[in-house]
Amino acid sequence: MSDRQRVVALNMKNVTKRFPGTIAVNQVDFDVFAAEVHALVGENGAGKSTLMKMLAGSYDDYEGEIFIGDQKINLHFPAIAKANGIQMIYQELSLAMPISIAENVLVGRLPVTKLGLLDKQKTVEDTKKALERVGLGHLDPFMAIEEISQHEAQLVEIAKALWNEPCILVMDEPTSALSREEVELLFEIIDRLRNEGLAIVYISHHLPEVFRIADRVTVLRDGKKIATKDVADVTRQEVVQMMVGKSIAEFYRHESHATNKESLRVENLTRFGFFHEVSFRAYEGEVLGLGGLSGAGRSELGRALVGLDEVDYGSVNLHGKPLKIKNMSAAMARGIAYLTENRKSEGLALRLTLRENVLVSLVPRHTKGGVYKQSLGTPKLHELIEELTIIPPDPERTMNNLSGGNQQKVLLAKWMAIEPRVLILDEPTRGVDIGAKTIIHESIERLAQAGHTIILISSDLPELVALSSRILIMRQGRLIREMAKEESSEEIVLLAANGEGV
Amino acid sequence: MSSKTSKGIRREKTLVFIDKNRIFILFGVVFLFMAIFAPRFMTTFNLTTIMRTTAMNATAAIGFTMILIIAQLDLSIGTIITFAGVVGLGLKQYIGYGGSIPIAILAGCLIGLINGLLVAKAKISSFIVTLGMLTILQGAIYTITRGNSISLSSPDAFAVSDWLSKMLIPLITPRVVITLILVAAFTVFLRFTRVGRNLYMVGGNRQTAWLAGINTDLYTIVTFVISGFTAAVGGVLFAMEGAAATLNLGDTSLMYVISAVIIGGTAMSGGKGGVLKSFFAILSLDVLYNGIILFGLGNEVKIFIAGVILATVVLYEAYTQYKHDKTVGQRSELLKEVDQLKEKLRASKQKIAG
Amino acid sequence: MEQAKYEAIKPGVLRHSVVNWVFVTIGVYLIAIVLLVLGIVLQLTGTINNFLTAQNMLNIIDAVSMLGIVAVGMAFVTYSGHYADLSVPTTMALTGIVAVEMLKFGFVAAMLSAIVVGFVVGLINAVAIGKFRANPIIWTLAVNYMSMGVIRLVWVNKQIYPDMTASTVRASEMFDAIFRLRFFDKIALPMVMMIILVIVLQFVMRRTKFGVQLKMTGAARTPARFSGINVERMIAIAFIICALTATIGGLAVTSLNRVGAWYNGKGYEFKAVTAVVIGGVTLAGGRGSIIGVLGGVLVIGILNNILTLLGVGTFSQDMIRGAIFIIVVFVNARSLRKMGRDYE
Repeated sequence: MSDRQRVVALNMKNVTKRFPGTIAVNQVDFDVFAAEVHALVGENGAGKSTLMKMLAGSYDDYEGEIFIGDQKINLHFPAIAKANGIQMIYQELSLAMPISIAENVLVGRLPVTKLGLLDKQKTVEDTKKALERVGLGHLDPFMAIEEISQHEAQLVEIAKALWNEPCILVMDEPTSALSREEVELLFEIIDRLRNEGLAIVYISHHLPEVFRIADRVTVLRDGKKIATKDVADVTRQEVVQMMVGKSIAEFYRHESHATNKESLRVENLTRFGFFHEVSFRAYEGEVLGLGGLSGAGRSELGRALVGLDEVDYGSVNLHGKPLKIKNMSAAMARGIAYLTENRKSEGLALRLTLRENVLVSLVPRHTKGGVYKQSLGTPKLHELIEELTIIPPDPERTMNNLSGGNQQKVLLAKWMAIEPRVLILDEPTRGVDIGAKTIIHESIERLAQAGHTIILISSDLPELVALSSRILIMRQGRLIREMAKEESSEEIVLLAANGEGV
Repeated sequence: MSSKTSKGIRREKTLVFIDKNRIFILFGVVFLFMAIFAPRFMTTFNLTTIMRTTAMNATAAIGFTMILIIAQLDLSIGTIITFAGVVGLGLKQYIGYGGSIPIAILAGCLIGLINGLLVAKAKISSFIVTLGMLTILQGAIYTITRGNSISLSSPDAFAVSDWLSKMLIPLITPRVVITLILVAAFTVFLRFTRVGRNLYMVGGNRQTAWLAGINTDLYTIVTFVISGFTAAVGGVLFAMEGAAATLNLGDTSLMYVISAVIIGGTAMSGGKGGVLKSFFAILSLDVLYNGIILFGLGNEVKIFIAGVILATVVLYEAYTQYKHDKTVGQRSELLKEVDQLKEKLRASKQKIAG
Repeated sequence: MEQAKYEAIKPGVLRHSVVNWVFVTIGVYLIAIVLLVLGIVLQLTGTINNFLTAQNMLNIIDAVSMLGIVAVGMAFVTYSGHYADLSVPTTMALTGIVAVEMLKFGFVAAMLSAIVVGFVVGLINAVAIGKFRANPIIWTLAVNYMSMGVIRLVWVNKQIYPDMTASTVRASEMFDAIFRLRFFDKIALPMVMMIILVIVLQFVMRRTKFGVQLKMTGAARTPARFSGINVERMIAIAFIICALTATIGGLAVTSLNRVGAWYNGKGYEFKAVTAVVIGGVTLAGGRGSIIGVLGGVLVIGILNNILTLLGVGTFSQDMIRGAIFIIVVFVNARSLRKMGRDYE
């Protein structure tokens, strides 16, 4: 590895990007070699997305120099980025649903015959070639994107990017929606691409993945580059320290406050096709972790428990009384609530204010005779803003002006406001910076201490292992394992989620 | 997005095929029904009448189909039809048909251009722009005609209409030829040219299309111009009919065209559909309405049925989506064991949860 | 520290939604005032006469009171994020003609049957759009056609006259009075109804559980559902409110024309949406107020009045209204974008 020819594919020298009132990227040096996977890590607001947008050609007013190979370019337009071999792969797929795979991959450059009409044969050929690079050579190029699975669609997205023959590929959180198997498949593809000579920038919050796939890692904090290291020469702890800037020895240590007073009893709960014969009990003061790969049915289970989805068989008892609910508001009235994993599309009304979002759950409670008194919720609102340190602490600010971490805090505040006896949290710290994450974890612990039951659905293994008093593992719609805090570790949880070691 | 068992895949493929080609199947059914049951349906005269009405509505549907493909709306086509008819007839006495017809069509293009510019450049939603334009045109039409319909009685008033109705071969008149040429041209354009396929991408995911180098603004503007163009052609054809342009010439057209295009399979969400399907949808509706009249039921029934059909189609699409959304995310392995599971649970007499 | 970062990022953002709300709502009244001033100026320069008279002011309000009644109901549909209810014209005509027909059983019977019919139409819209998520524009357009068909089928293209169908002279007089009753000889019943509706519905929108939950439904439907709001019911109620105000407006128009016919209410859907949008209720849903809609209605009224006094024909007025509609939406969307909020 050390005697490999190191060709510099991308070199950003002393780049800076200013916005009114802030410097998002501050004199950063960032370079990527050909045949390398270079990870970019940092909290939200560290400057990762701005740096990435710079690479995408979104800004025409950055300072500093950018070199592709040894040629300096003015990366002022997306077209220039593309022309210089830079391809971006974002979390939100750029594919069009009703349109065929072929037309998505070859968009804008469908092959035509001499007469100017579409060359169907060449279209099929080209598409298959593109799909083969991501292991999807078996798919029918004329299937619409809406007809294939989410995972396959993401691979098509990559195929589309590769079709442009990039020399630099930038991937932004490519694994957040993938199951472990799919992540492995993706990494195989990334490995292959690296060996073919591609320079890959890998942006992620997941340190385990970074350590698995990357050759070097660069840490950003507050717009500045803290360090660039070979992955082999640094530990996870050191990386986190660089990201956060303070000692994190205390970072993951939570005690269990579980009692033996049963709060929730689930028996043979079944929703055909989503989860079958799920049975478990939960107790007051407990943080019950629910682990598993994505698609295992955890979110579906959570939603079914609060009446958002229907249930085909089974029974649920809440504090000894049967729970028969048809909708979310009945669930809330009984004291059980669910925090969704998609804060933007299912959790928050981004166009409304902080106050409106937090107090929406309290509206039925503060209504008398049909009339709603907004002011009744104000004390609670301020209490929650303070407890969760929501920034900016302005109740009248609209949600789309807040960072991801603060938005997530607001979502949590909404559910804390009604003080449910059982609170189901689905990925409560996804896409959230470490500062916010800590605050959310502290709140979760406080809730447990106060006697509430928390069911924690999380793909963040350290979080799951650190917070939970017990962990249940779901796999392919069934509950397969239960483990106590003492016997759990990230490796064991991961193995179990994969069906091994059961 | 879809679950896959091999029996499931086969069944899915058939359903997808039926769904994609439903309008052709529907047309066959309706035509057959009327041919068998409706009195005097299969006469040359009747079939010619059907072809004539279809020709006029189908042209406007071409443009509207493209508008829906790029996920926009054009509510002004009804008034453009009327406007073009009024202009086409009204100016005849000054510059003859040779002058008034091109001007009428040009006017349609111009209106489309304004619509397109407002939507693409000023970034106002097409619902608003075409709603406003519709109101403006209504006012304009009334102002120009002073509230009277235009009808001509000069000896050559019917010249164009007669020419259009000359029977070349059974059922095919120049009017029909014009329509068929337009339909064929646009079908080929949309299905088999790169620009045509790009149009679908503009509707499917505008951002992606733009990033891929497609000039989405230009596509949008041109589509609105085409919509104005085809509506104007339709309006001219309508007006030439009886050499008369009433003030509500195009009123029913909006409803008609929207129903047909959606029934034909072009979705309002954009990115799918086609001109041929819209043509067959118009044909099917015309056959249906024709049959209704032949059965002796009146115009009122027609209006009512038009509403019912559209309502049914819209509900059907919405319901399908509703059902589909419920099954998103189902695991195929789990689905396989559902029957066994049902047996087992029933056997142990589990109660169904609320 | 992070706080400072945020305050600095968007210097132009008005931070307090109270100020925002006032600005957007009052904005429309500012336009109304500007128009009033324009009218006064034109009168002073002798271009028009009789603008600033009590009678003229009353005329303005009279002319728009029916539009106002319909618009405040339509506003709920727009507020819920479903653009507009295009079945309003035929709902107006249908309830009107049903009322006239039922006058043979007395005034009360006529009113009740009209309300029932209006409610049913609203319910049909509510279920298709609320529960099955049909496209609101296309669906209400289809319902418009179906209602039209029903009117023409049942009454076979005839028009019916209240003074002929009414069972008693008294019933006929009362029906007449819907439009013509005046309090203190000046204030017409429709105007009173409009004002009552504005006050009541503004309260409903701002201060009731329904209004607050409707706001969230309009702003973000799925998050609303995930917060325990019965989204389908909210939308249903919005469409029913719209149908009921259309009923009241339809009765007024039918009374005005003294005939039950299929064309009563023609054009009201577009005028109502214009008033709603001018009044600050954005098409994306979840924003705006009924007071604003009243302002929108007044703006339309004053404008039409000035144009009429200037001798501009009705249809030209239509043209101008169409143009203003587009301009208002454009300006609205632009300024919201500049303020850093999203746009429709």
